[in-house]
Amino acid sequence: MPERLDPRFDLSFILNGAPVGMATTTATTLADLLRERRDGRGTRLACERAVCGACTVLVDDVPRASCSMFAFEVEGRNVQTVEGLSDGGELSPVQAAFADNSAFQCGYCTAGMILLTEALLTRDPDPDDATVRDWIGSNICRCTGYSLILEAVRDAARRKREATP
Amino acid sequence: MTEPPLRTVGRPDRRIDAGEKVSGRAVYTTDIDLPGMLHAKVLRSPHGHARIRSIDASAARAMPGVHAVLTRDETAAIPMPVYGYFIKDQPVVATDKVRYEGDIVAAVAAGDEGAANRALAAIRVEYEPLPAVTDIERASDPDAPELFEEPPIGIVPAYGQGASGELRPRRNVCYRFSYETGPADAFAECDRVFEDVFHFSRMHHLHLEPFVCVADWSREDRIELWSSCQNPFPVRKEIARIFGIPENRIAVRVPYIGGGFGSKNGCKTEPVALALSRLAGRPVRFCLTLEEGFLTNTQHAAILKVKTGVMADGTLVARESEILLDSGAYSDGSPLVAEKAGYRIPGPYRYRHIKTDCYCVMTNTAPAGPFRGFGGTQTSWACESQIDMIAHRLGIDPYEMRRKNLIGLGEPFVPGESGMDSDLREGLDLVVRELGYRRRDELVNDGPVRRGMGLAIGFKDGGGVNKPALARVKVSTGGDIFLQCGTAEIGQGAHTALAAVVAERLGADRSRVRYMPVDTDHSPFDQGTNASSAVSVMGQAVDRAALAARRQILDFAAEKLDCPADELDLADWEIRRGNEAHPLAPMVMGHFGGAGWEFVGEGFHKAENSHAAPLEAPCVFWEIGWGGAQVAVDTETGQVTVEKLFVTGDAGRAIHPLVCRGQDEGAALMGLSQALFERMIYDGSRLVNGDALTYRAPLADDLPADFRSVTQEQGHGPGPFGAKGMGEGGMLPVASAIANAIYDAVGVRIAELPLTPERVLAGLAAKDGG
Repeated sequence: MPERLDPRFDLSFILNGAPVGMATTTATTLADLLRERRDGRGTRLACERAVCGACTVLVDDVPRASCSMFAFEVEGRNVQTVEGLSDGGELSPVQAAFADNSAFQCGYCTAGMILLTEALLTRDPDPDDATVRDWIGSNICRCTGYSLILEAVRDAARRKREATP
Repeated sequence: MTEPPLRTVGRPDRRIDAGEKVSGRAVYTTDIDLPGMLHAKVLRSPHGHARIRSIDASAARAMPGVHAVLTRDETAAIPMPVYGYFIKDQPVVATDKVRYEGDIVAAVAAGDEGAANRALAAIRVEYEPLPAVTDIERASDPDAPELFEEPPIGIVPAYGQGASGELRPRRNVCYRFSYETGPADAFAECDRVFEDVFHFSRMHHLHLEPFVCVADWSREDRIELWSSCQNPFPVRKEIARIFGIPENRIAVRVPYIGGGFGSKNGCKTEPVALALSRLAGRPVRFCLTLEEGFLTNTQHAAILKVKTGVMADGTLVARESEILLDSGAYSDGSPLVAEKAGYRIPGPYRYRHIKTDCYCVMTNTAPAGPFRGFGGTQTSWACESQIDMIAHRLGIDPYEMRRKNLIGLGEPFVPGESGMDSDLREGLDLVVRELGYRRRDELVNDGPVRRGMGLAIGFKDGGGVNKPALARVKVSTGGDIFLQCGTAEIGQGAHTALAAVVAERLGADRSRVRYMPVDTDHSPFDQGTNASSAVSVMGQAVDRAALAARRQILDFAAEKLDCPADELDLADWEIRRGNEAHPLAPMVMGHFGGAGWEFVGEGFHKAENSHAAPLEAPCVFWEIGWGGAQVAVDTETGQVTVEKLFVTGDAGRAIHPLVCRGQDEGAALMGLSQALFERMIYDGSRLVNGDALTYRAPLADDLPADFRSVTQEQGHGPGPFGAKGMGEGGMLPVASAIANAIYDAVGVRIAELPLTPERVLAGLAAKDGG
């Protein structure tokens, strides 16, 4: 193992609804911590400067750029990643809407876009077009030209409303 | 006889990669993690141009955690430590000189990236700075400092009728491509001759997955490489040549690619990672940052001088062009881009005489290479701006001017070429209708805000040059289908489209088709995922492979059922004969035994070589992007708002309509962004906006209020079910359509991208003053 400049310590937080404990360092970013896990690589790194949003995760339901957060900041908090969205392998309504609308191409921004949408629809189950555009406008997708993503978000909102009695 | 309805082709089913991509399970090269894997980082030149006096890496080598250091001392032992497409001019690490800010000077493999970076900081390099040439004009000066003093190592490919190429025709030019057809004296017959100059800006691809590879050369006689790369077979060949290793000792594997837009062609991270892996005896991951991506590959800035002769009624007669591409410090794919830019500058119009010279000018900036549109973006910008300018000068509506000169359906582009496979007028008329172009006189101006509309037709030959394709389709005893071919999934939806073709031919649900991993040890040979060739070229091979497998299955069943094969049909892994259904699995096991069998079909496609065709083989298909824009120009601030943007391509046949739409819209937004704001900004040899924050990439907020695309299906394509290629066309018309709309709104012609408020205001001032 490479030598570390800073000592390791144990970190406890809630990851996708389940308590986890992981050894980490003060210099480790949340993204790197998540990606250390074999089942944690859906959180993707692109700009690593909190600009593109590819690495977006939800921390206590707030979208955050995990590339630019220290791991220790999530001590005791709720972290939601794309891996936690599918319930027993079944896609969430937002994931299903992205799949059915072909709201992705290369897929590198997709987890971030989906988590952003989850956060938006938690706050506003029926967002108007300007609100959707405003939210999606915080992440970069280089492939789609965004229209299919905007349509998927509206479709996801519909699905979620219909699924809620 | 009517064809039976299609069950997969043309349906917007979930993409084959949807489940993996929306759940986060899709594997990219960035996710590859091997036991004992080290991490590489590189030291880059702080100078635009300098001679290397000395490199002292002894302190770095002694640092704990450092497993290998690579400098020119180590690459001296590599058989041919330079790479490039036509010209081998880019060193694995710098040897005598550095030629741009960001040129790789040394590399370190360590336990983690932090340790590698600390070691790089301990490397001492002594430079002797040299004068830098940082743009086309300065590099073209006969007395300019020279990037390469030694003669080039390279080739000029075979060209056909009217075309030629030359290595290093003059100082700081690595390649010239020329093309000529028809009598040069045609200009003498013209009523008017117009000469205009256009400047094209430079973008970075900004693919979100960085340049990355994982190289394992821990065993001397075996190289295993995972790479985010569009052309694994040519990369294998290049690695074999660089390191002197037989190709059958090298495996290149391509997982999902997180975007490329042309940049991930050819060697990028691979040579450094492999050299380090050999030195360290451990696998090495080399992942660039997004900022380093800007220093690795870019689009070509260009100066395009276009001289067009025309009759008073608007009939085009002759066009001569000189195109200067800013190729950066190393040739990369520039000679190929020069071929295409030089070839495409006439646009989709009829002339009696065409003459073009295109030069790759070397500058002390990041290497330029393939970028969506591949020279066609540059030429469409110049061509479609000038057509508009000429129309206005002659007092003809730009729409009528285009309509009059467009190449007809089936008409060859130039002598020896294939015929046009789209009805160009049909597409243009669609734009005119969708945009409301004929009612543009009714556009309302609000005080200082003036409105206008513009049209453009982007044009390129698609499918690559002389490109072969080979595919294999295997069907198991149980009817499960394996598709093997070398087309990488870079986001464009190729795996979905090609699997749909196979499913359709074999009467199977697409869920029965698995697209096998791209791996040079197992996949049939392929030249690369580029040039919108997946459906148009590989699609033909895949289609033939599926039909060959189908033929074997039907022949086998015919023998078993003792009837002619043409009485049989194949659906859902049953043989259908009239109203009878015969399940195939028991039939197969009855013949081959319980362990079963696999039917294997192979399919090959390549355009015929032809010396009559300027590029030695006729174009596979013509990729057309028609576009129209409505803009509002604020004459007080110069701000241009694109209120409407409409683009349309011709898929021939849309194998997957949403994939086609996504390609056109993604390309169109790239065009819009280039038109209005996105560009690499150099201050001398220093790139000043090479990071995500200051490089302005388009966001959802940048979409025009009315942004639409229509996928035409004109049905004339050479691919399966009449399909053509997609993916680049949507970008081509956008910048010129917007520039033409600005002219329509305020009478200001901007011939330089991007169309900034400053340029609009300067144009307005010149118009008022003049």
